[in-house]
Amino acid sequence: MNWTELILELLLMPLVAFFVGLAMVLMMRKVAARLQRRVGPPLLQPLYDIIKLYGKKTQVSHGVMHDIGIIMAVGGYIAAETLLPVPGMDGIADKGGIITLAYFLMIPALGLALGVGQCANPNGSIGISRALTSMLAYDIPFIIVVFGVAFHFGTTNLADIVRIQQEGGIGGWGIVEMPLMALAGLFAMQAMLAKEPFEVYIAPPEIATGPMVEMGGKYMGGLFVMQAFQFYTMGVLYTTLFLGGGENWLSFLVKIFLVILIPVTVTVIYPRYKTDDLVRLVWKWPTAIGLVGLIFVMH
Amino acid sequence: MNNVILMFALPLLAAFLIQTLWRALGPLSRFVGPLTLLATGIIGLRAWPVVTEQPAAIAIGNFAPPLGITFYVDRLALLFALIVAFGMLALWPWGKVEDRPRTDSILLILAAAATGMALSGDLFNLYVFYELVAVATYGLIVSGGRAPAYAATFRYLIISAFGAALALIGIALVYTLTGTLNLAHLAEVAPDLLNNPMGLAAFGLFLIGFGVKAELFPVNTWVPEVYPSVPQRVAGLLAGVVSKLALIVIVRVMLLVFPFEGAHLLMLALGIAGVVFGELSAWRARDLSRTLGFSSIGQLGVMFIAFSVPGEAGLLAGLAVALHHTAVKPALFLLAERWGGSLARLKGAAGDSPLAAGLFVLLALSLIGIPPLPGFWAKLLTLVALFDQAHPLYLIGAGVILVGAVFETAYLFRIATGLYGTADAGQPGRETHDWADLLTAGALGAALLAGVVLLAPLGQQLTGIAAQTADRGLYVQTVHPTLPTFVIGQTP
Amino acid sequence: MNPMELTSPDLLLAVAALTAVVVLIAGNTRAGGWLATLGYALQFGVLSRMAGLGYGEPAIESALHFDVFGWSLFWRYTALSWFFAIITVGAAMLTALFAAGDWGRQYRRNGGSLRLLHTALALNVVAMLLLLGSGELVGMCIGWELVSWASFLLMATGGAGAVQAALKYLVYAIGGGMAMLAGMALVYSLVGSFEPDALAAAVPNLSDGQVWALVLLFGSAFGVKMALLPFHLWQARAYALTPAPGATFLGTISSRMGLFAIIMMIIAPIGLLRLETISGPLGLLSGNEILAWIAVFTIILPTFTALRQNDALMLLTWHGIGQGGYMLLGLVAGDKLGLGSAGGIMHVFNYATYQAAIFMSVFAVVYRTGTADLNKLGGLITRMPISFVAMLAGIIGLAGLPPMSGFVSKWFIYRSLLIEGEPLLFVGAVIGTLGTILSVYKLIHNMFLGQLRLEHVKVREAPPTMSIPMLVLVAVVFATGWFPGIVLDWVAAVQASIGLPVIAHHWGGIDLPAGGLDMRWVVSILLGGFAAGAIIFYGLGNRHRAVHQLDNYAGGHFLSGDVRYQYSANFYAGLMRLIGPWYRGTFQWLESGIVSGVSAASMAAQGVLRPALPGAYLLLTATLLLWVIL
Repeated sequence: MNWTELILELLLMPLVAFFVGLAMVLMMRKVAARLQRRVGPPLLQPLYDIIKLYGKKTQVSHGVMHDIGIIMAVGGYIAAETLLPVPGMDGIADKGGIITLAYFLMIPALGLALGVGQCANPNGSIGISRALTSMLAYDIPFIIVVFGVAFHFGTTNLADIVRIQQEGGIGGWGIVEMPLMALAGLFAMQAMLAKEPFEVYIAPPEIATGPMVEMGGKYMGGLFVMQAFQFYTMGVLYTTLFLGGGENWLSFLVKIFLVILIPVTVTVIYPRYKTDDLVRLVWKWPTAIGLVGLIFVMH
Repeated sequence: MNNVILMFALPLLAAFLIQTLWRALGPLSRFVGPLTLLATGIIGLRAWPVVTEQPAAIAIGNFAPPLGITFYVDRLALLFALIVAFGMLALWPWGKVEDRPRTDSILLILAAAATGMALSGDLFNLYVFYELVAVATYGLIVSGGRAPAYAATFRYLIISAFGAALALIGIALVYTLTGTLNLAHLAEVAPDLLNNPMGLAAFGLFLIGFGVKAELFPVNTWVPEVYPSVPQRVAGLLAGVVSKLALIVIVRVMLLVFPFEGAHLLMLALGIAGVVFGELSAWRARDLSRTLGFSSIGQLGVMFIAFSVPGEAGLLAGLAVALHHTAVKPALFLLAERWGGSLARLKGAAGDSPLAAGLFVLLALSLIGIPPLPGFWAKLLTLVALFDQAHPLYLIGAGVILVGAVFETAYLFRIATGLYGTADAGQPGRETHDWADLLTAGALGAALLAGVVLLAPLGQQLTGIAAQTADRGLYVQTVHPTLPTFVIGQTP
Repeated sequence: MNPMELTSPDLLLAVAALTAVVVLIAGNTRAGGWLATLGYALQFGVLSRMAGLGYGEPAIESALHFDVFGWSLFWRYTALSWFFAIITVGAAMLTALFAAGDWGRQYRRNGGSLRLLHTALALNVVAMLLLLGSGELVGMCIGWELVSWASFLLMATGGAGAVQAALKYLVYAIGGGMAMLAGMALVYSLVGSFEPDALAAAVPNLSDGQVWALVLLFGSAFGVKMALLPFHLWQARAYALTPAPGATFLGTISSRMGLFAIIMMIIAPIGLLRLETISGPLGLLSGNEILAWIAVFTIILPTFTALRQNDALMLLTWHGIGQGGYMLLGLVAGDKLGLGSAGGIMHVFNYATYQAAIFMSVFAVVYRTGTADLNKLGGLITRMPISFVAMLAGIIGLAGLPPMSGFVSKWFIYRSLLIEGEPLLFVGAVIGTLGTILSVYKLIHNMFLGQLRLEHVKVREAPPTMSIPMLVLVAVVFATGWFPGIVLDWVAAVQASIGLPVIAHHWGGIDLPAGGLDMRWVVSILLGGFAAGAIIFYGLGNRHRAVHQLDNYAGGHFLSGDVRYQYSANFYAGLMRLIGPWYRGTFQWLESGIVSGVSAASMAAQGVLRPALPGAYLLLTATLLLWVIL
């Protein structure tokens, strides 16, 4: 591969992710609206929101770390996108692999935590405490899934994982070969996206949306962008691990939107768990399912 | 060669003359004792090169063995005779005890008897010298004039007498079985006549009897009472020198007369019990002298364990441990002279006496067996010897020694860190050390450090001693040059 | 080679000894700390002259050798020794520099003895260099005990509470030392030599029981120093109470001597292949799996103990124990490509660099504020930005996240477990990492983020003597994260010198057909992502306005500085509601149970020795006589 092509890929991959992610945000709001018998926002509403947030007059910074936190949250995802292969573009999937990606996904969380920390708002700190706790919860089934998939396909290279599944046809997909893993992964994804019933750290009624409490203007805008990336990343990662990745852009987009449709639907119909209930639930069901799945994978 | 007898005779003579001399010379006569010991020491040192090449048997009054009194002088015997001379010289209680001439005389008798024990080649003479040592120590213990000492002596007396009786029964048993008490003669006939339960019983009686002085479990209950109630120089003498002589006699007898597995295991088992009980009790003791007493029970236990290993390896290890202990224990007792009473009193003592505290740490380190101090090498030799044995009891012995060292660390460094701590408010003060005590302890500490530097030559000497001692054939050959060696050449 | 010819290791030991002497003489003077730093710098210089060892050159014999009791003791420096030595001396150099200026003056004002502190530190270095150079077991035992006692001395400099902790350490350490002696004696009785090579040659002929005995004896001997479970209770408190440079030094490298010794006596001579063939109780797990599980529990339990600490230093020292588990886990993972062992060995270096940075940052805060209590700090980021950066870089490393070096070594370990198909170990290691993230966030949040206390408004950044070592460490952590090949070269040399598979690495990590790692790309892309994030943030939208640090509100009310609203106590309340009852203190209970048991036994023993027991003697005599007569 020549350098210009690679650099182009590295630029293009986050850009695609951004726009697809925005569409997913739109989908979430549409789904919620439909289930609540509303019309929902127009097509470009997510974009308008971002522009509005960036254009606001009041942009309160609580210090350098507050700014850097947002940069890390967004930048971490931008970097992570280059590790996720999409049809036609592998980026640097062979330089990092799934373990690196799993760790990359913790960087935005840590950046956000640091940024919120500097805001010195107790509600924000409580939110972070809950957010990190739920990370401790969901990363365990997630890492079981990561291990199981990597072991099953015998590689940590995501591009190879996609290739192996596609060579096997639908019967070779992760979800067919490792249904329990796929189920556990679905659970973990719900918690990773911090969607109901696992959104205790945002908790609007109690701690005034937790980490977001001091975020206004483009700080909020940054988080909005981050959310778009997060949706995209989760969708693509799940598709890559279990649904054979993208044969072409059409099937790829269908798959990732279908994947994301599950959490956004669940979100609307579920209430919220307490922190310790969340941990207990996530450590019990998806972890158990994942471990059982692992037994099948290993034998 | 024959002047080695002077090592025994000179102190005995001086002991009898000193009362008279005291009247004639007055205060000058206080130097008679030390000078005598110095003279015996020099005689011993001059004999060393000769003995290194070839041990000698001396028949007193020219009665040939097995009839006459025999002295057997090899490197081991001479080494311990030298330890008696120089050890007592170092621990000589200058102005420490009341009633000078009488005490000096007792000390000289002790020196003579102890030398006799080291050199004697005859079981009955051994017993006689042993009794003499016992009597001398009774006198020595009460010489400090402290009231608890009388009570402690009484207990010591009972146990000693009991031990002596047992030893005598043992010796009688040996005589009944073999018809001789000469060690060389016994060595020849032992494999045939003593390798049976009766022989083992005789050894058991002998072991327990002589074990009283060697602080052998279970006849060591006098130790924790006697040591805290006597002048610490005397305690050092008993723990450092006298106990080793009793031990070495037991070892010599076992080697020559009872070289059987049962005897070895019996000694091993009692040694293990000694370590267990000694170290556990020391961990709980709350004053320095008692702690040292208990720990010396444990240390003697280690020596019994080491010597119970058959062959040269066991002798080498046991000798190393014994020599090391001879240097360390008296020095620690000397430090305890002014550091008596509750351990809590010692908090912050390093501020008043930094040298003593430093010495204490050095001695404690070596006692625990921290490399590169000599104690480490002794412990290593012991463990290597023990791990080579097949019988599982030896492994238990090794384990007990190792765990014992952990206990030693705990109690010795509880004290050491207390020394370097800060004194509590209202804590009673301490006296500083007597310069003579400190000097002696310092010299022993310096000897330890010299031991580190001279480790290689020391090791060669010890190996040589062990080899010479282990050679049963050589012993018999030396005493009875006419006998063929093949009879007794190998241990069963 | 001429035995009298002095070589670099001799020079190294001589300079180290000289440093100790110099600080013993001049430790209390104004120049004491600087002289110490200079001494370590010289040692560092000598070590860099020996740098060939890190690139595959053969071992350098020392002129130091002697024969005792027919055993020959000799010293030499191999790649393994050199690797540990460079960390040791580097840590000593930076900590001495840290203490050389204002910190030392404050310490002396508060009644501490700098002479004692510097001497203890220098003695630690001498002892460790001696240990690292030892060629056979007796010399190793000498070095081992010296290290134990030198660290005891260093710990005991911290005052009355520290002495108690140090005594506890001592009992553990001597217990370990005695296990080592037993191991040595066993080796000697099995092969008739104290040399690891002789042991290695004999290992194929040893029975499984004998190998197990060796592994148990050496494992527990060296595991004590590493604070492996179940010997971990002494470490956290003992290290945390040591004065700053001492704690930093001990916390970063001292307990790694245990790992060195495990490599010397278990990994190298016995070998992973042999460990795989011996099986544990009921034949369930093989030898290396048992070690791996010990490692994983050493990761998890101390890490979650750290999570509960309210003292920054205790938190750090508990993490130190947990991180040791990763190193052992990597070493025994045992894949054929050498990934695991590379990760384990590399983690020693990485851990040392970031842990030192965090320690220094915490001690800088203690220097300025006088406390390490996580409930009495907060908001110091604006006052001590350099210390904040040091801690940030450090905790990212400690948590094992990219772009810092801690990620690389952990990646190797994970990759190895993946190849070996050990999912439970893998998950256990990740649980440790997650617990670490929670714990270090609490650390940085409660110290540097959140509300600034009014009494800390006037706090300034630590002086340059303290901030420069921190910045150096940050640079090292970052550089070795971006270009892990710097350290991997040395790691490969170490692997070669102890007979492990050597990793085929490059500057950025490793290429594997089944998924490798190239940190040059990973870090660059991450930095690129951050750059893009920065452009989006700073370049787009309206200008942001910074408000004063104390300008805050909550629940619709403005908060003034005198109202304490820092969220710090019981930081993970939700999690603790669930896992709080799981902290049973079983090991503490076990420890105090043993102490009580010994106490009771000693009472019984005294009961036997104190009374004269005439009845027992009569019985004994009667028995003996009866035996004789019958």
